[in-house]
Amino acid sequence: MTRSTNPDRDLTISRVIKAPRSAIWKAWTDPASFEQWWIPEPLKCRVIEMDLRPGGSFVTQMSENGADYTPHLNACFLAVDDLERIVFTNALVGGWRPAERHYPTAMTAIITLRDHPMGTDYVARAIHKNDVDRNTHKEMGFYDGWGTVAEQLARLVEPRS
Amino acid sequence: MEHYPERLNSLFQALADPTRRAVLRRLSTSPASISELAQPFDMALPSFMKHIRFLEESGWVSTRKEGRVRTCAIEKKAFAQADAWLSAQRALWEGRTDRLEQFVATTRKKERPE
Repeated sequence: MTRSTNPDRDLTISRVIKAPRSAIWKAWTDPASFEQWWIPEPLKCRVIEMDLRPGGSFVTQMSENGADYTPHLNACFLAVDDLERIVFTNALVGGWRPAERHYPTAMTAIITLRDHPMGTDYVARAIHKNDVDRNTHKEMGFYDGWGTVAEQLARLVEPRS
Repeated sequence: MEHYPERLNSLFQALADPTRRAVLRRLSTSPASISELAQPFDMALPSFMKHIRFLEESGWVSTRKEGRVRTCAIEKKAFAQADAWLSAQRALWEGRTDRLEQFVATTRKKERPE
């Protein structure tokens, strides 16, 4: 399978974490651990389903007051390679069923863990659906991706105000 | 968090049409009246007005009526919002990674006290 990147709507977070892969894998795949870091305090996270296998359901909820929980993530695992990789998408829900809706847009996340002399090389990549095709960028004269769209347009507009 | 307003969809959807993009391009130089904006297009006015309304509702353009003339101007806020989206996604993942890192460090300290 080819893995094409689209700088317009992909983002990559790369970090060397000073811990072995097994520790990070556990923090990710043990629901009780995952709940403690996935969303920021004071919000509470609750894992409803974390079926760690391709096609498995990945459902979380969040709460502001610790009592009333609302849907947060409703996704499907695409790949789960022990201690190495987790891939999930909100374009599908558990059992590969196409999702009815996904905010803010369809997203696939690829988490990879690699050994590093200092610990683990942790990479989270998020690939987002492109709502507007590349022609739009070309036509408007933008080539460098969404991040710069606003900048370039703003530059056109700013001098006038 | 991951729940972004529908509004963002319409911001991008508004850009998915050549007429609307041309209008934005024209408005990026200065505000203009509807008739002035419609002029380059071989399109009935009601159809053109639909595009203007779309741009207005999605937040790209504001309109103001003075006498009989309706003037359109570009909304700078919309650019910031479109840009903010990817930045927000990045911040989200940066934050998660920070917290994961901290969680793992704390857990390990507990398990292996020095």
